[in-house]
Amino acid sequence: MEPLTLEMIMVMAMIGLAIFLFIVEWVRVDVVAILMMVTLPLLHLVTPKEAFIGLSSNAVVSIIAVIIIGAGLDRTGMINKLVAPVLRIAGESSSRIIIAISVTVAIISSFMQNIGAAALFLPAIQRVSKMRKIPLGRLLMPIGFSAILGGTITLVGCSPLILLNDLLAPFNLEPFGLFDVTPIGLTLVASGILCFVLLGRFILPQGESKDIPEGDFAEAPEKTGSDTDQTEFYELKTPDDFTDYRDPVLVEDLRRRYLLNVVAITEPPDFKIISPMPGMEVRSGIDLAVCGQKKDVLRMAADEGMKLKEDLETYKDSLSSQTSGTVEVVVAPRSPFAGKSLNEIDFQDRFHVTPLSVYRQEETYRAKIDDIVIHVGDVVSLYGTWKRLKTLQNEGGLLFSLPSDMEEMRPEKALWAGLWLATALVMIMGFKIQLSVSLMTGALGMILTRVLTIDEAYQSVDWRTIFLLAGLIPLGIATENTGAAAWIAHTVLNIIGDVSPLALLTVIGIMSTMFTLVISNVGATVLLVPLVVNMAIAAHTDPRMAALVVGLATSNSFMLPTHQVNALYMGPGHYRTVDFIKAGALVSVVFLVVMIAMISLVYGV
Amino acid sequence: MSIITISRGSYSMGKTVAEKVAERLHYDIISREVLLDASSRFNVSEIKLKKAIHDAPGILERYSHNKQSYIAYIRSALVERIINDNVVYHGLAGHLLLKGIPHVLKVRVNSDLERRIAIVMERDRIPAQEARALILEDDKQRRKWTHSLYGQDPWDTSLYDISICIDKLTIENAVDFICLAVESKEFRLTEKNKQKAKDMAVACRIKAALVDEYPNIGVTCEYGNVLIYMKGKDQMTGKLTKKLNHIRENTNGIHHLETHAGIEPPPEAV
Repeated sequence: MEPLTLEMIMVMAMIGLAIFLFIVEWVRVDVVAILMMVTLPLLHLVTPKEAFIGLSSNAVVSIIAVIIIGAGLDRTGMINKLVAPVLRIAGESSSRIIIAISVTVAIISSFMQNIGAAALFLPAIQRVSKMRKIPLGRLLMPIGFSAILGGTITLVGCSPLILLNDLLAPFNLEPFGLFDVTPIGLTLVASGILCFVLLGRFILPQGESKDIPEGDFAEAPEKTGSDTDQTEFYELKTPDDFTDYRDPVLVEDLRRRYLLNVVAITEPPDFKIISPMPGMEVRSGIDLAVCGQKKDVLRMAADEGMKLKEDLETYKDSLSSQTSGTVEVVVAPRSPFAGKSLNEIDFQDRFHVTPLSVYRQEETYRAKIDDIVIHVGDVVSLYGTWKRLKTLQNEGGLLFSLPSDMEEMRPEKALWAGLWLATALVMIMGFKIQLSVSLMTGALGMILTRVLTIDEAYQSVDWRTIFLLAGLIPLGIATENTGAAAWIAHTVLNIIGDVSPLALLTVIGIMSTMFTLVISNVGATVLLVPLVVNMAIAAHTDPRMAALVVGLATSNSFMLPTHQVNALYMGPGHYRTVDFIKAGALVSVVFLVVMIAMISLVYGV
Repeated sequence: MSIITISRGSYSMGKTVAEKVAERLHYDIISREVLLDASSRFNVSEIKLKKAIHDAPGILERYSHNKQSYIAYIRSALVERIINDNVVYHGLAGHLLLKGIPHVLKVRVNSDLERRIAIVMERDRIPAQEARALILEDDKQRRKWTHSLYGQDPWDTSLYDISICIDKLTIENAVDFICLAVESKEFRLTEKNKQKAKDMAVACRIKAALVDEYPNIGVTCEYGNVLIYMKGKDQMTGKLTKKLNHIRENTNGIHHLETHAGIEPPPEAV
């Protein structure tokens, strides 16, 4: 074994630093990657050319193309149209609905980024939950897991697999084909779904369904957390001497004091205002409608001398479900609203809709929600007229459970989109043209046939993913070039001694699973592939299989809500971390067993 | 109908001023009682509490959070005392502990250094040099204490509504000024101010109940709606939830209680 050199120590220190930063998250993961990209050439651990080689790599170009193709498919509205026929096939049984949607999501996820597929389906799943009265918590986790598992069906399904061939190149190992992983991926999806169908009732939280009748609003309960938290609409009348001898009472005062959202108010003589501004004054002898909990309404009525009406009267029509309503929107990945406080977004002023509450990680926030900075996956309850809500929906960045009939969809382009996807696939499979070239052709085709404009294509690319991939590639190169990978591999093998190939692959699988839970899947792949290839060579096992195990097992991220898909579904599904641990532990174990079994079956290891 | 805090340098005649103001306005006067209250309510010795509020935290104490707990106890005890109004408080750090209650008249009483030295010399029968060192050390400790906990200098006059130096002005003058100032509209008890004081009492009670285990939380209360701010990302554990439920049931004046994890506490949080 080679002696430990200064360069090796420096590379290992950089790996340690990267892992440390990934875990503590002082800076975002993509910034860590860029840090590596810049520091490694400064330390002479890679050449300047190698430092930026990631940006022009097959993997990065492929992922850009995959994102554009995904955005194109999304634009045609094709995917949402799939839901209706899928549901028809599924029928009434909830298990069959879970199976049908999960399979569809998995297949779509195999050609799109997992998070993209998951976000795309979320509104449809919310509608299904409401229509079929199946609790959202029973649907979302199986479907989310299927979106992640679907990434293992093709080589372009998830970032680690896209990266794999690039990481194998320095070892002169034969690259994997687009569908080489398909048998393994399909089995993984099937076993994942099977886990939920057979054991769902034990591993999934058994919540109540969200039963919202179409009719009267006053009876529409909104489930936010526990059953005691129900918010409803109430109408009150202020006394004739309400404003006498006191400071003016504003709409926002009632919110701060009683946690009640004024959703409609009369401005004398009789102008009815829906979603009034916070600064509006509450006058004497007028009607107002509020949304909130009964105990708070009773408290306000008593304190302020207001008369609580038994039913909605003045606002019966304006608050009817025909004209207005409450929606729960989920903050989408890459939403322009994420990272801003509700105060900064100012829904009230910009869109005339009233934010009622924010739900995040087991907590419903109702007090002082203006100061809350919203994150991806948060669920925000909004009240407004349908017209206003649709304007907000058009703005993008929030996933509505409303049917989106007015989004700028181009269904007539569905044929072109499908055609270009097929072209890309034929180029890869039929003509063995390189992945990046074929996929970019498909993406370009969509732009030329105006499925989406070039600007929309640029906007759809997530630069975080690109730089995360491109920035970590030089770290992989440095690990290999300096011999650090070989050194670590030999040291590990010396410690564990002789092992059978299957045992080695299992160990690699467990190691990758653990890495992917704490650092990103891309980070885990880049760091582990050079290592395990060296280990496999030294242990006389097929190095390609070792790399494949890493590429697949980095998708084995179910136990914690760290994976983007899990983070997105956690809020709407009202899941707790312990729910992920319970269901995720089972699926993770099944994943490892099935993966190793399938690799040994398909490749005869 | 208001609350007066008199902050003072040691041996600055502040206590005498406080007593005379209370006498003239027929207000209650409190100082050491607060420590006694806190000591019996939270089962901590008075000496420890006094040390916590007097001495600046040592290097080790900065990490042990004991001091933070003691101060939360003292603050809670003090707010409970002043909630009934018509009070003069001349104990330590009143102006900081009662921050957020609008109708508090914050007074600083100082005295000429030479005069302070003379008082100490006479009282303790020690030479001038020793007396000077004693006073300067005491002032230094106060400065360090305020700075380490509130990031402010107690000698900064902008922290007070009135700052009076007993030198050319007599104690009687000082009492006149204070009694005149407290008449002003800003220090009158209104419904709103009363509510703020009540809210502050609820927030302090909750902070005192949680500070031992969660020293870095911030608590605000507005009209009985309590918000608990935690810096950590997601530290919601069963233990905290249980504790909060217990607090909700056993504390009067809470209409709603919510935990905002991962959100920086606002400056008015206790």
